[in-house]
Amino acid sequence: MNEDKCLIIKDLSFGYQKQEEILLDANLSLNNGEILGIIGASGIGKSSLLRLIAGLEKPFSGEIFYFNKHLNSKSVFVPPHKRGIGLVIQDKGLFPHLNVMDNVKFGISGTKKEKIDKAMHYLKLLKAEQFKFSMPNNLSGGEQQRVAIARALATEPKLVLLDEPFSSLDINLRSSLRTETKALFKKTKTSCVLVSHDLDDVTHFCDRVLRLENKKMVEFID
Amino acid sequence: MALPKISQLLIKFTIILFFGFFLIPIFFVLLSLLGEYNNNWTHLIDYVLTDYIFNSILLITGVSLVSLIFGVGSAWFISNYDFLGKGWLEWALVLPLAVPPYILAYAFTGLFDAYGTANELFRLLFNISDNYVFFPNVRNIYGAIIVFSFTLYPYVYLTTRMAFINQSRTIIESGKILGLDNKSIFFRLAIPMARPAIIAGLALIIMETLSDFGAVEHFAIPTFTVGIYRTWFGMYDLGTAMQLSSLLLIFVGFFLILEKFERNKLSYSLASSTFKKFKKENLEGWKNFATFFFCFFPLLVGFLIPILEITNWAINFSSDNFFSETFINSLFNTIILGLIAGVICTFFAFVFNFLKRFDNGFILNGISTFISLGYAVPGLVLAVGIIQFFSLLDKGIFGPYLGIALTGSIVGLLLAYIIKAYALANNSIESGYERIDRTIDYVALSLKTNKVRIFFKIHFPLLKTSILTGMLLVISEVIKELPATLILRPFNFDTLAVTTYIYAAEERMFEAASPAIMIVLIGLIPIFFLTRIIRDSRPGNK
Repeated sequence: MNEDKCLIIKDLSFGYQKQEEILLDANLSLNNGEILGIIGASGIGKSSLLRLIAGLEKPFSGEIFYFNKHLNSKSVFVPPHKRGIGLVIQDKGLFPHLNVMDNVKFGISGTKKEKIDKAMHYLKLLKAEQFKFSMPNNLSGGEQQRVAIARALATEPKLVLLDEPFSSLDINLRSSLRTETKALFKKTKTSCVLVSHDLDDVTHFCDRVLRLENKKMVEFID
Repeated sequence: MALPKISQLLIKFTIILFFGFFLIPIFFVLLSLLGEYNNNWTHLIDYVLTDYIFNSILLITGVSLVSLIFGVGSAWFISNYDFLGKGWLEWALVLPLAVPPYILAYAFTGLFDAYGTANELFRLLFNISDNYVFFPNVRNIYGAIIVFSFTLYPYVYLTTRMAFINQSRTIIESGKILGLDNKSIFFRLAIPMARPAIIAGLALIIMETLSDFGAVEHFAIPTFTVGIYRTWFGMYDLGTAMQLSSLLLIFVGFFLILEKFERNKLSYSLASSTFKKFKKENLEGWKNFATFFFCFFPLLVGFLIPILEITNWAINFSSDNFFSETFINSLFNTIILGLIAGVICTFFAFVFNFLKRFDNGFILNGISTFISLGYAVPGLVLAVGIIQFFSLLDKGIFGPYLGIALTGSIVGLLLAYIIKAYALANNSIESGYERIDRTIDYVALSLKTNKVRIFFKIHFPLLKTSILTGMLLVISEVIKELPATLILRPFNFDTLAVTTYIYAAEERMFEAASPAIMIVLIGLIPIFFLTRIIRDSRPGNK
C-alpha cells in the first residue's frame, strides 16, 4: 500500500435501490495534501460518493482505504464518527440551536480553553471571528459556509470532503471564499475532495479533476 | 365593502361582552388575594398548605420524569427506526388521551387493590391463599404519578415526534461526521434541538396534572385542587377556597408562560428548506422486540388495561347499566351540554378568526390570545370564580326580579366549559384559516362580494372540516370535565363524568363502568381525527 495515498477507492458499487447502481466498480485515489475535483451532471452520484467516503452510506461492494486503514469492505464498516473525515455540504448543516462559537467547538476535544482557542483560531482563518456569538440563522449564506468550513477544519481532519460548498454563493463571494479556502487547505496540508457541477469551481480550486460518467470515474480532459 | 356601522358596533359589543365573561371569573379569583385572610387560612398554613405544595411538586416532578421517558423515547424510536408494529404504534400511542386520568385511577384501584382483578388473577394462577397480595397498593402518590404519566404522556409524544421528524437529516449527519455516535446524537443534538417542543408538551402535562381533581381525590392525595374542594365543601369557606385557587392559578400561570415562551422558539426545531427524508434504520433481533415493548408499554398501561378492566366490569357484572335511567339521563345531559358548548365555541372562534383575517389589529389579536388561555385555568378554580361572579350578579342585578337566577344554573356550567374549551375550537379554525390563501379573499372582494358573503359562501364551505374537528374537540373536553361540573351543575343534574365520579366515590365500580366507557368512546372520536392527521403528518406524505 502506498504511504503517500490519503484515500484509495477500489471497485466501489452503490445505489439507493438494489440493482439500480449509480456507482459501478468505481476507482479513485487521492494523494496526501492533494485537492481533487469531481465533476459531473446533477444527480449522477457525486454526492453519494462523498457520503460513502464519509460513512453515511454503505456500498453494495468494493473497498475504501484511508491512509491504508480499511474503512469499508464486506466485513468491515467504520462508522462516520470514527473515520475522522470532515464534510462540508451545500446546506451547511449548522446546528440551529448553537451559536457560531459552539458550532465550531462541537467536534473539538480537549479542555474548555483548548476548545475555545482552537475554535477561535479556525474562525480567524476563515475570517468569521466577528460573528462568533451570532446564531446561524442571523448569518448570510457566505458567512454560514465559512463557519461550516471552520467547523470541519477545527477537528483537524486529514481529509475534508466538500459537496458543492460554493454553489449557493454569489459570484464575488464565491471566488474569494474559493481562493481563501484553497490557501488554507494548502497551508494546513489538508487533502480534499470537492464535488461540483460547476466547471469554474473545480478548475480554480483543484489540483486534479476527475469526471463521474456512466457510474465510473474517468479522467477529465480540459 | 365594509360592514354597516351598526353591525360593526354590535360585533364589537359582543366581542367585549364575550371577553368580559372570560375575564371576570378569573379576575374575581385573583382579587381574593387582596381580601381578608380569616382563621381558616391560618389553619391551612399551619397544617395542610405545606402538604398541598409538597405533594403537587412531587406529583409534577414524577409525572414529568415518567412522561419524558415514554413520550420522548417512543417519539425517538417511531421517528428514526423501523421495528415491529411501528406502523400502528405511531398513531395508537395517542389513544390514552381519550382516557381521563380519573378513569384510569378507578381502573387501577379496581385492578390492583387487595381483592382487585389483578391480585385475584395472580392468586388463582399460582393457587395462593386469599390473604396474599402481590401487587403493591396504588392508592398513593406513586400510583397517581403512574396514572397521570400514562394518560398524559401523549402531549410530549405528539410535540416531540413532530420536532424529531422535522429535524433536518443534514444536521444529524453533520453530528455524525463530527464524531457523535447514535447515543450522543440523541442526547447532544436531537434532544437540545427538540427542547422547545419537549418543554411545550411537558408544560401541558403539568397544567393538566395540577388541574386534576378526580384522580387525586380518589387516591386521597392532598393537593391544591383537593384542598380547594375541602375548604369549600368541608369548611364552607368560599373566600379561603378562592385564595387557595389564586395560588394554584399563579402556579399554573408560570407553566402557561413557559409553554407559550417555548412554543415561540419552536421554529428552530422545525424543518427548513433543507429537509431531506431520513432513511430509517431497521431494527432486528432483540432490539426489535425491546423497542416494540418500550413503545407498546405506555399504550398498554394508559389505554388497553383500563379499557379491558372497565369493559370487564360493564359486561360481566352490570350490562343492564347501559339501559338504566341514570345512565340515559347523564348521557343526554352530557350530549346537550357538549353540543351547546361546541356550537358556541366554534361560532365565536369562527367569527373571531374571520375578523382577525381582515383586521389583524393589536386589540383583536390580544383578546383572541387571552381567551385562548382559558384551557390552562383549572376547572375547580373556574368554578370558584364563576360562583362568586354569579352570586354577585344574583344579589345585585337579578335578585330583586328573579331571585337566584344564575347561581346553580346551567349557565355557569356552560360558561366554565366555554372558557376551558374555547382554545380547542380556536386552534382548529385558526389552522384551517392558515391553509386558505388570502388571495381568495382579495379576488372575492374584487368581484364586489361583501365580507358577510365571503364569510358564508367562501370561508364556511372551506372550513367545514376545521369547524367539525373543533366542535368534536370541545364536546370531548366537556364530556371529560369533572371538577367544574361537580360544583356548578344544577341540583339533580348529572353528566357522565359526575355519574362516574359518584359511583366510584361510593366504590360502586361496576356501575361506574357504563358512563366511564361512554366517556372514553366519545373521547375517541376526536382522537380518530388526530390519528389521521398523524398518519399524514410526515414530511413528504400527501
